[in-house]
Amino acid sequence: MSYSALTLRYFETAPGAGVLDGAGILRGAAGSPAWGTWVQFNLQVSCGAIQAARFLAFACPHTIAVAAWVVEQAVGRDLQITLPEPVEALSKRFAVPIEKRGRLLIVEDAWRAAAGR
Amino acid sequence: MYLDHAATTPVDPRVAAAMAKCLTAEGEFGNPGSTSHDYGAAAATLVEKARAQVAASMGAQADEVVWTSGATEANNLALFGIAEHYRESGRHIVTSRTEHKAVLDPCRELQRRGWQVTYLAPDGDGLIDPAHVAAVLRPDTVLVSIMHVNNEIGVIQDVAAIAAICARHGGARLHVDAAQSVGKCAVDFAGLGVDLLSLSAHKAYGPKGVGALLVSRRERRVHLRALQFGGGQERGLRAGTVPTHQVVGMGLAFELAEEDREAEAARLTSLREHLWQGLEALGGTFRNGAAARSVPQLLNVSFDGVEGESLLAAVRGRLAVSTGSACTSALQEPSYVLRALGRGEVLSESSLRFGLGRATREQDIDTALAVVKEAVSRLRRISGA
Repeated sequence: MSYSALTLRYFETAPGAGVLDGAGILRGAAGSPAWGTWVQFNLQVSCGAIQAARFLAFACPHTIAVAAWVVEQAVGRDLQITLPEPVEALSKRFAVPIEKRGRLLIVEDAWRAAAGR
Repeated sequence: MYLDHAATTPVDPRVAAAMAKCLTAEGEFGNPGSTSHDYGAAAATLVEKARAQVAASMGAQADEVVWTSGATEANNLALFGIAEHYRESGRHIVTSRTEHKAVLDPCRELQRRGWQVTYLAPDGDGLIDPAHVAAVLRPDTVLVSIMHVNNEIGVIQDVAAIAAICARHGGARLHVDAAQSVGKCAVDFAGLGVDLLSLSAHKAYGPKGVGALLVSRRERRVHLRALQFGGGQERGLRAGTVPTHQVVGMGLAFELAEEDREAEAARLTSLREHLWQGLEALGGTFRNGAAARSVPQLLNVSFDGVEGESLLAAVRGRLAVSTGSACTSALQEPSYVLRALGRGEVLSESSLRFGLGRATREQDIDTALAVVKEAVSRLRRISGA
């Protein structure tokens, strides 16, 4: 398996990995470790804007990299039910093989689960 | 750092030097089949010396050695050769679910052609109970194929007991894939009572592209139908010019491996246990295969709370090991061997196979431990495990 430089950078550093504690944290997850992919997002929102974001992932390097990028991009934006970038664009940005693109839908579902709370 | 010696080994420099002498005009480059002149006769002498070296290291007679291109071809020759020769006696074959693909795929092809195959399940330690072999033998069973040392988990099967069961049956010949055995544990072809045994050179510091099938010429002589034709070499069992340099390399590699085997076993057992103790201290680690019945060179460990592809990616660049996953496409599949042991899909995928070798030293194990500990801890943090 080969990975793009961007994928490797976000996989190896995984910025934003972890959880947020406290009242009012929006938390949502999708997938399952038993299926091989599980992603959870934690969002701290104030006045409609995302103040902080974290993720957890039991997943392949592509999925971890995308989840890390998503939380990095999310901070400072208005809370929306959609990802900061559509799945198709994320697939291209991280050179995700077509066989693995379904895993990005789990990222999207986890985001929707958190942002929709 | 290279810890994937179960996949392949570097060619021993002494072996490479001996091989090189068979390639150029100054050496024995002749066709070993052309014994009408000195060039061919000199090459033939080396081929027969190599045959004797392989036989001596395996407890076989020289005339039981049939050269092949590797263990995969040897396995194919054994399975198809027996099946075709004894097709009027029966069309039932017994093997196990943890065999190498070089046995499983020919079995599936034989099923497609009308043979029936029984796949035995191992116990949780990866071992096949010989009693289970006895229980599934039928009057029409012509072949039992059980590997000696498993390539993923390193367990050693009790092939002597299985050979005795096959001998009592009378019609079932025993084929053993011993590609992983050479230099790792003693192999006594005659003493074990095995009928056919597949060998590979490149797992034992020999070259890739050469192997052998040992075919018993003892009292219960085994007959095979050849799979390729065109020259009658190897007593008609494997046509094609014998590659002198390749078999010379294999012969010397096997001789050297046998010389070093016992000393290496003691040294590598100590290193392997050091590695396991370090990994065990991480917690959430599971050793795959019966430790007391494994070759010293191999350790297979599953890690709870980490995803398999990420684990391999996290150590890549610093550590050359194999994963429990078979990467057949962009998607990885859990190891069928570990699944057969009863490991769940997640643990079957999140495993690493460490293959220790001659060059492995204690500081290498310490480095490997540091790399794996850092990777597993980081991935567990990311997964929240």
